[in-house]
Amino acid sequence: MYQLAHVDKKFPGVHALKSVDFQIGRGEIVGLVGENGAGKSTLMKVIYGAYQPDGGQILIDGKTVRFANPRAAMEQGIGMVFQEQSLIANLTVMENIFLGYEQQFVRFGVINWKAMAAAASAQLAKVKLEIDPATITSALSFAQRQLVELAKVLTLEERVQGDLVILLDEPTSVLAEDEVKLLFKLVRELTARASFIFVSHRMDEVMELSDRIYVMKDGAVVDVVARGEKTVEQIQHKMVGRNVDKEYYREQRQIPYDAGRELLRMEGVSLPGRISDISLTLHAGEVLCLVGTEGSGREAILRTIYGMRTPLTGTVTIKGQEITRFTPRNAVERGVGYVPRERKIEGIVAGMNVYENMTLSQMGRHSRAGVLRIGGERALARDWISRLSIKASSELADCGNLSGGNQQKVVLAKWRSGGSDIMLLDHPTRGLDIGAKEDVYDMIRDMSEAGVGIVLVADTLEEAIGLSHSIIVVKDGAIQKRFDCQPGAKPSLYDLLHYMI
Amino acid sequence: MDFQRFKPHLPWITLLVLIALVGVVDDTFLRPANLLSLAGDIVPLFIMALGLTFAIYIGGIDLSAQSMANLITVVASVYLASMGAWVALLCVIVGFGLGMISGYVTTRLLVPSFISTLAVGGVAFSLAQYLSGQRALNMDAMQRDAVFGWMIGKTGMIPNELFIAAGLLAITLFIERRTTLGRALKAVGAGEPAAAASGLNVARYKILAFAISGALAAIAGLLFSVKLSGGAPTIANGFLLPAIVAVLVGGTPLTGGVGGVLNTAIGTLIVAVIRASMLYFDIQATQQQMVFGLVLIGAIALTIDRAKLRIVK
Amino acid sequence: MTGRFSREAVIRWAPLLVLIALVILFTAINPQFFSLRNFARITISSAPALMVAVGVTFIILMGSIDLSMEGVISLTAVLFCMAFVRFGGNLAAGGWLAMPLILALGAGIGFVNGLIHVRLRIPSFMASLAMGFVGTGAAVLLTGGDIVKVDDDVFRGLLTYRVLGFPLMVYVAVVFLGLGWFLQTRTTLGRNFYAVGGGEDLAHASGLNVRRVRIAGFTLAGVFYAVAAILQVAKLGQAESVTGANFMFISITSVVVGGVALWGGVGGVWNALVGVLIVNTINNGMVVIGLPDYVQDGMLGLLVIVAVVLSTDRRAAIVVK
Repeated sequence: MYQLAHVDKKFPGVHALKSVDFQIGRGEIVGLVGENGAGKSTLMKVIYGAYQPDGGQILIDGKTVRFANPRAAMEQGIGMVFQEQSLIANLTVMENIFLGYEQQFVRFGVINWKAMAAAASAQLAKVKLEIDPATITSALSFAQRQLVELAKVLTLEERVQGDLVILLDEPTSVLAEDEVKLLFKLVRELTARASFIFVSHRMDEVMELSDRIYVMKDGAVVDVVARGEKTVEQIQHKMVGRNVDKEYYREQRQIPYDAGRELLRMEGVSLPGRISDISLTLHAGEVLCLVGTEGSGREAILRTIYGMRTPLTGTVTIKGQEITRFTPRNAVERGVGYVPRERKIEGIVAGMNVYENMTLSQMGRHSRAGVLRIGGERALARDWISRLSIKASSELADCGNLSGGNQQKVVLAKWRSGGSDIMLLDHPTRGLDIGAKEDVYDMIRDMSEAGVGIVLVADTLEEAIGLSHSIIVVKDGAIQKRFDCQPGAKPSLYDLLHYMI
Repeated sequence: MDFQRFKPHLPWITLLVLIALVGVVDDTFLRPANLLSLAGDIVPLFIMALGLTFAIYIGGIDLSAQSMANLITVVASVYLASMGAWVALLCVIVGFGLGMISGYVTTRLLVPSFISTLAVGGVAFSLAQYLSGQRALNMDAMQRDAVFGWMIGKTGMIPNELFIAAGLLAITLFIERRTTLGRALKAVGAGEPAAAASGLNVARYKILAFAISGALAAIAGLLFSVKLSGGAPTIANGFLLPAIVAVLVGGTPLTGGVGGVLNTAIGTLIVAVIRASMLYFDIQATQQQMVFGLVLIGAIALTIDRAKLRIVK
Repeated sequence: MTGRFSREAVIRWAPLLVLIALVILFTAINPQFFSLRNFARITISSAPALMVAVGVTFIILMGSIDLSMEGVISLTAVLFCMAFVRFGGNLAAGGWLAMPLILALGAGIGFVNGLIHVRLRIPSFMASLAMGFVGTGAAVLLTGGDIVKVDDDVFRGLLTYRVLGFPLMVYVAVVFLGLGWFLQTRTTLGRNFYAVGGGEDLAHASGLNVRRVRIAGFTLAGVFYAVAAILQVAKLGQAESVTGANFMFISITSVVVGGVALWGGVGGVWNALVGVLIVNTINNGMVVIGLPDYVQDGMLGLLVIVAVVLSTDRRAAIVVK
């Protein structure tokens, strides 16, 4: 039905797509996997009309088509559900659904809000979302927004004669487990009306949902796998081009932590509306994982330790000293480092180079009377670039231009080079490809060996189980259960899920 | 030639082209003495623009600069007699202090700097009116020459004001490039959330940026009052917009984190050359402002590096 | 959740509460403040400012800024007077023709302003600032520094003819405010301003022609500035190259005080109205209670800060610039 034949796309210095063949049938769900830089996003952009291919053809029902822009693609029934936050927060749900297509509700220049609300309700019914279409979007949860997003794309159904192809780009990245299940159920039901292309970093999800999986590497499709044909490891092997270590999470490197050295203690810490009565301890060399659904309070715990929030009750003690003033400055001075989830916003400063980013948290150490010793900074950056094999042209490269994995290494180097020995990692592997993820896992083990205490909020439950010495399950801002995770005696997914939901 | 690499150099290329253009029309323009006096005349504007650079560099704006300079001309005129040379210190302290208030209101009370600095400017204006009794004041000429005469003299053929400007440029350039303060301001301008998450005391640095802006506006006001040998609550009016323009034309966009004081030096010169060129192109007084606006659009279109602006708002 | 509801309600009504508090405050100090005559005075000074504020509100909603109003008002006011005189010098004889002409001219200037901003990709702050210079410059050029007068009792009736104690120009302003509200709530263009301000790249990705919306916004603002110019001429009976002076800061301050967010997407014309009334009430109240004139600027500054602190939702902004 929809087909790409020998599609080529070149950018200056990069051959992004190499003669890609791709097809999708009516009602089919096709997975698309590959490492970062494998060409997935370029391929998607070609499909939804943001890029025009340099060579090859796009065929719909055997007829060649060409899209000048995303809108042209939409008119042929191709819609895109963007990753996250692609709804405009200050508009109502119905305005978002019909953004750019309001004209159908306009009579003599006046918008008929009632008609729009009725039409929006009809769209929301398709995704089984029962909300008032006049709700301001910012009041919705992430999961609800994702569904509104889908409802918006499904308006194509009325507008377009013929079949629909809907791209789902990492639709699950902000969803909790149960919400993912609901979404998958919905997508399966909707195959009666549309075909789906599903893109995700989470292999298990791709395997679960897709009828076929396209595997991409270096701008080419290297394999097409039918459901159940291959294992996760085999597909990952294709993606990476080598065997992914069975010991993916470096469990063989997990050594017992030093229970005698306590780095951090929280006692009865509460933040109204976010967390209540949190008590935990972190020891030297320990990897402590906080597990819970989105909004369960994991991030609030990290931010409280880091001093970005001041608790109403309870105490936080770092290395034996009770914290009285909660500021990041204070935490940093006591050796706390924070790797935030929003790497591009809070992690690195785009527009500043590698050495400037690395010393940002420790300028005092590289200056005398406020005057920087730039030679020293640059030497330090060069040292860490080689130690972590950061792919940057030099310490003068703009951090904003590095790939996600290398940006994350810069953030980690920022804290490690400053000697931080309590690391707070919030989704440190989010959006990274397998190679970069493994580097991060190695770094976590290195830090653990060096006696650093780590509080981790992991991207997936498997990651949490694999990496941690201890797991604390958080739900609705309160601790539900603590697990010990010695190698060989780790809790199962089910054990954790039981306490999460 | 690769245009991307060429772009950051556009401000000073624009400046050279403008100078060459005016020079072709009238070669007296290019005489060193003429260029030097031209440069000397714009020093107060330059110093104010230098201060504004700090506010704009962190992604804010300082609309109080002009009122601040006004106030300082009054303060200098009133207290020169009693304080002598120390009045200079008083001026800088007043500017720094009022700038800190702007910064405090912006960062702690979360009032956009557009409003907070405007409001502090209103306060400065009221103070100036109160101190001056709402009239123009004169300095005692003898005392002015004795205390501050060196500011407006000449060394050889070079106006001393240029040394002051160069000195301040060197100091601010040093702050921007070589100190933790400069680095922190860059981080705040380019990525405030990341700066905060790195443990920087963002609010303190922002307050400092506004304070520096205020202090430099005060120095501009002091120099201005010495030049005119007096002060009045409205004497420096008409400085603010050209100073902002100088910063922007130089290539420090309002989004912050890019550009810097060196850019402002070039931007001020561009503004000065455009203004001076009106004489050489025989543009009548009634036409000048309109032509200034039109040339400005051209200059801005040429000099801003759009690659560094994500969205043009 | 009642907590959130009440917070939202407070934010929504805070500017109005601040206005009421100011009225009570000034009345308590000098009861003469609370009189029809004085309210008429406040609304007369507010009427032109309100038109500017409504115009710039649309721009600020898009997350842009427009600093061209002073130049545009000076130029349109001067041209209005000239055209009015040219068409016979009184409303009945053909002077009324000047009105649609000037509104169209305002639209034209706004259009050029938007075009420069969008096509040359110059940030609106700089583009509109330069356009302001051009406008003021053109006004200087046209008048040669002189004053142009309009002597027509019928036209001046906008100021002198009163209905229920308020002069006609106030009603004109109210009508245009209503027009602004209609545009904002009931038309695609108005809603698109919110979309652009809420997320420009997202709006673009949804197939919205953001450039066209922006240019339309600046054009619309130009029309409102032209209305302000006509009202200002009606108020003063004359125009010159400085007729537009002071409108820039006052209008933007008013809009922010009224609760429109400078980063775009939040607020609307009602906020502009309340903001303009707050600022003009402060100005008027300071005179009525007999504050010495040299403290008034400083006092206005302080009160504006207090008003912004009390009346706007600054928690929504991650970064305040």
